[in-house]
Amino acid sequence: MTSHIEELNPGLKDIGRYQFGWADRDEAGASARRGLSPDVVRDISTRKSEPQWMTDLRLKALRLFEKKPMPTWGSDLTGIDFQNIKYFVKSTEKQATSWDELPEDIRNTYDRLGIPEAEKQRLVAGVAAQYESEVVYHQIREDLESQGVIFLDTDTGLREHEDIFREYFGSVIPPGDNKFASLNTAVWSGGSFVYVPPNVHVEIPLQAYFRINTENMGQFERTLIIADEGSYVHYVEGCTAPIYKSDSLHSAVVEIIVKKNARVRYTTIQNWSNNVYNLVTKRATCDEGATMEWIDGNIGSKVTMKYPAVFLLGEHARGETLSIAFAGEGQHQDAGSKMVHAAPNTSSTIISKSVARGGGRTSYRGLVQILEGSHGSKSNVVCDALLVDEISRSDTYPYVDVREDDVQMGHEATVSKVSEDQLFYLRSRGLTEEEAMAMIVRGFVEPIARELPMEYALELNRLIELQMEGAVG
Amino acid sequence: MSLLADKTQGPVLVGAHTDSGAAFVPDQSRAERKRSYAVADFTVPNGREEDWRFTPVDRLRPLFEVGPDDRDGVTVTADTPDGVTVSHGTPGSVGLGVGIPADRASAVAWESASVMTSLAVAPGAAPAEPAVLRVTGHDKARLNGHLAISAGAHSRSVVVVAHAGSVRCGANVEIDVEDGAELTLVSVQEWDDDSLHVAQHDARIGRDASLRHIVVTLGGAIVRISTNVLYSGTGGSFEGLGVYFADAGQHLEHRLFVDHEPPNCRSDVAYKGALQGDGAHTVWVGDVLIRASAGGTNTYELNRNLVLTDGARADSVPNLEIETGQIEGAGHASATGRFDDEQLFYLQARGIPEDTARRLVVRGFFASIVQRIGVPEIVERIMAAIDRELGATPQTEADG
Repeated sequence: MTSHIEELNPGLKDIGRYQFGWADRDEAGASARRGLSPDVVRDISTRKSEPQWMTDLRLKALRLFEKKPMPTWGSDLTGIDFQNIKYFVKSTEKQATSWDELPEDIRNTYDRLGIPEAEKQRLVAGVAAQYESEVVYHQIREDLESQGVIFLDTDTGLREHEDIFREYFGSVIPPGDNKFASLNTAVWSGGSFVYVPPNVHVEIPLQAYFRINTENMGQFERTLIIADEGSYVHYVEGCTAPIYKSDSLHSAVVEIIVKKNARVRYTTIQNWSNNVYNLVTKRATCDEGATMEWIDGNIGSKVTMKYPAVFLLGEHARGETLSIAFAGEGQHQDAGSKMVHAAPNTSSTIISKSVARGGGRTSYRGLVQILEGSHGSKSNVVCDALLVDEISRSDTYPYVDVREDDVQMGHEATVSKVSEDQLFYLRSRGLTEEEAMAMIVRGFVEPIARELPMEYALELNRLIELQMEGAVG
Repeated sequence: MSLLADKTQGPVLVGAHTDSGAAFVPDQSRAERKRSYAVADFTVPNGREEDWRFTPVDRLRPLFEVGPDDRDGVTVTADTPDGVTVSHGTPGSVGLGVGIPADRASAVAWESASVMTSLAVAPGAAPAEPAVLRVTGHDKARLNGHLAISAGAHSRSVVVVAHAGSVRCGANVEIDVEDGAELTLVSVQEWDDDSLHVAQHDARIGRDASLRHIVVTLGGAIVRISTNVLYSGTGGSFEGLGVYFADAGQHLEHRLFVDHEPPNCRSDVAYKGALQGDGAHTVWVGDVLIRASAGGTNTYELNRNLVLTDGARADSVPNLEIETGQIEGAGHASATGRFDDEQLFYLQARGIPEDTARRLVVRGFFASIVQRIGVPEIVERIMAAIDRELGATPQTEADG
């Protein structure tokens, strides 16, 4: 295999000799190579034995990444040093780490979240788990496999289903879409590849669990989901990372193709440690009668900029985003959603709830675009923000672009503080102020929490309690 | 930088990236946006800038370069009741000391203006009649306007600035509402269809003072009015009302920025617009910043757009930035919708002819704003203008 690629690209032979930080003997992530160059990109591609077209695409994306300026809007990203990041950390290095090696406060947090235990259970139930750059575990129930459902890590997906892969990869989010999508296309590794055949309903959610372990790690998973006509699938992902003194980068790309009358639900509970820059591009296309639902929970990370999008391309397609964000001390959650109506009688809903405390900042940033010819389209955007103290910040930046007369578009936002009356009421019934505050916040996000699978709803509630700890007094 | 220290081995293309480390930091707050009297501090907009991205900047080019007034092409007349004085002088470097240009067009107008028109309401005065300034242009005359309005302490007054004719006008309007004063300022744009008008209004609201700022934009090829409001004391109140009606090919843009710094002030912004005809484009951007010091703030923004025909485009962006939880309330709402056929049907079913019914529905849409204006002459003029605009509809049959 390798020799075949070398034939196609003679330059690779020389690069192969470098080995750099990639050799197996480099067991710890600490010795993985930092920085970005065409060599690094070629090396990733070579190690994955990828077809030439993918190598070329990666290199093209790298050039686009280098050309594109940093965003002139949104959060402060100057903390990212692209040359200090490790772009590929071979997953075997995980064996050098265990929960015990983590700093004590973080270990306690994970124990309290029950993640090691949940991880174990999920492995039994059948999930994908990505550790650093590669998926280390995936399993799918046999009955689904026999119906033709494909659920693989993306690297294996490319190897085993190159035809489908090539048809859809980059079709929703092209390599030049934005700077971080270019970066992801250049150095992607891992993620999930899902194909659901026509009229197959996957009743139990497919789950993925992403983890960054190495300091200054860049995780660039790439997920591609194709739901064929009339099918249904629910994909759930969770993310965590330990806390280090310098920053890591998570820059995923998620492409979803929802074909005629199919429905896809994609649930994220992002709980990266607050030294992770989380800059993710997620987009779905919906054909006629199709439905895409994003349920997007942002609790962790230092900076998140994430705006899951739905392009409504067929008549009667529908997009929905439920977004929830918590920002604590030092965090900026710049999240929202984007709905592009490109066909008649399409509809979209965005519901966003955010809570800021301890000097954190939440921003809703969204776009609803109704293109010419999309008559009969409807869109509704509702943003509610809750501020629980005097030093936190909440922003709302909703963009609306309507180019058609026969549409209904509405946007509403409210920002409120926790009412003294509510607090007093709960305290007079014996709750401490902290418990009362957590209860009010839980009530505030309940409309979104109830859409989550049970275990994630419980996890969310636990996370809220953790977030609210120390919020009072 | 650490990338050199941490480099292990092999070639790392240092210099391949110029964008890490010292990269550009986007404005983290609306308050960080640049302000300066110097034209050179602003580059000529190319349409990619956040504050110009909706505007057809190519057609505004004449207003981005310093140039003299066509003094013969513009007439300004004033109608002043007792207690109000109008005078013409030179602007000086800081004008009234309220406004500072926030974009290229404003800085150009500031520098190019040869005359500053000052309108002063005497402290404690309460004239029964509105003061009216009429600005009329001819043959696309260049006008660099600078108007300074000051409402003396505890005065109560209404000022109307009526624009008509054909101009290329860049303008700065400074509005100083002193402590305890109440000022209603109405700016009416009824330009001819070839006019360009880019204006910046800067208002400073004193302690327990209130400003009712009303913008009525009906005519002009491109009209862009940016209104910035700040408070110099507690208890200030700002009510920003707007009515606009865009026809084919017209670009009408209204931007507001309300900066809440002292505590216990309020702001209430409500703009409504209708669009009709191919290429009619309206933009409404409402920014509100509540700083950490502005506890007890109460703010609401509303924008509604009624799209009457195909091919029109309404952009609506209400932005909120809030840095404290100790607020009374904050919110905004924006909606864009089409003409409601059901309302039309209801009226027609009661024997009202279609064109009358359409007029009633559109009048009803604007009524909630127009009723709040409280200046009868202006209300009548707006309603008459809306009727005229609707009368201009080439086809009155229900269009889908």
